[in-house]
Amino acid sequence: MHCEMILDEYRKRMPLYERLNVFVINKLRTCLDENHILVAGLESRIKTENSLVGKLELKGYKYNSIDDITDIVGFRIITFYSNEVDIISALVEQMFDIDWENSVDKRKMLEIDRFGYMSLHYICRIPETMYKDPTMPELNQMRFELQMRSSLQHVWANMYHDMGYKSDVEVPLEYQRDMNRLAGMLELADEQFGRIRKEITDYRRKVQALVASGNFDEVTLDGDTFRSYLELKPFMRLAKKIAAINQAELYEDSLMPYYKILLRLNMKTIGDIVRLRNDCEEAAYQLALLQLAGTGLDIVAYSVALQNICIVYILKKGFGVAGLTQLFTALYGASNYNAQHAHRIFEQAQRINLI
Amino acid sequence: MDITINKQDEKTLVTLNGRIDTSSANQFQQDIAPLMEGDRPDIDIDCSGMTYTSSQGLRIFLMLQKSVIARKGNLVMRNMNPMVKEVFDITGFSNIITIL
Repeated sequence: MHCEMILDEYRKRMPLYERLNVFVINKLRTCLDENHILVAGLESRIKTENSLVGKLELKGYKYNSIDDITDIVGFRIITFYSNEVDIISALVEQMFDIDWENSVDKRKMLEIDRFGYMSLHYICRIPETMYKDPTMPELNQMRFELQMRSSLQHVWANMYHDMGYKSDVEVPLEYQRDMNRLAGMLELADEQFGRIRKEITDYRRKVQALVASGNFDEVTLDGDTFRSYLELKPFMRLAKKIAAINQAELYEDSLMPYYKILLRLNMKTIGDIVRLRNDCEEAAYQLALLQLAGTGLDIVAYSVALQNICIVYILKKGFGVAGLTQLFTALYGASNYNAQHAHRIFEQAQRINLI
Repeated sequence: MDITINKQDEKTLVTLNGRIDTSSANQFQQDIAPLMEGDRPDIDIDCSGMTYTSSQGLRIFLMLQKSVIARKGNLVMRNMNPMVKEVFDITGFSNIITIL
């Protein structure tokens, strides 16, 4: 009988659940955006009537009223890394009132010789300081569940669920060991991903500092160091000079495609690129002057500066038409046009005594 | 400048004929307006009939490229005659747009 009353109340409260669902999901999304946290997933659901009936059939004796059921409205944040669960939970604690008595950190529930499903479940309320609707005063009393877990914990939970189990005690003993090994592997992978990401972040900070200090010969050329170097806009002076030929607009495109070109040109450090620029800058400008003057073309891309520097370097090194063709193929993909273009540039270079 | 736009399965095939210059740029921009709509566009532009492009043309292609990237799509220009390709090369626009 009391289960029927709970179900009646559930139906009556549906507009409130829907309001709660929309409000909380928007708050969570805004919070993650404001804190620049990219997550693998943000989910919400209102328990269906069928699911509630199932719960009441199993555990109805535990609930005196619908207020005792805390997961009718539920949310789940799936992070990329396990350590982000702690960061997000700290933000959630600042946002919502947490019902600590009913919140569970399943990560801490496991005994030292056990692995398995691990996530953080908070039971929360919307504080009146955050939102108060006089037409829905019950909104601040209603509890909802917020689960936070990493992607790998999510995979684990989904696999478990797919196999038809809700907790590791249900798994037949003969499969328990295999499941434990898998759980251990996922936990280890979670930790390793977190560690590697931290190390890469530290490396990038170090690289940025090194690039900013100007000790370019000490900075090995890789994708991260090149990106940091580009932040200094090292080819802007030349690009502006080229743009000035026709009083052109300068469109700032990415120079990252040139990273692989510079590796091919045997650049080992950022210092090598600085020397490349200094050695080839004037000739690169002369080439642009020959090509652009009198054309009336009044828009150029920033990349034209580095493009011409690479062209000049290849010609100075004596790689000729074949070297230029390889450059254009690497930049633009295979095409019959690359060889024609290389011949034309070669002729232009001869006219301005580059070769 | 003549332009034809045909839908073929998921691909949008565009054919350009003529010059893009001061006198034709505005009309060209209006003509390609349908290419600025829709999610994940896959646009293939046959430039074999395009005889010239001015800076205005480059700006319109740049606008189209930015719009396509913003919509997570793909833009390819192909069969460009060498004179037109040179305009893209010397301005650095070959680094921005895929030209096959």
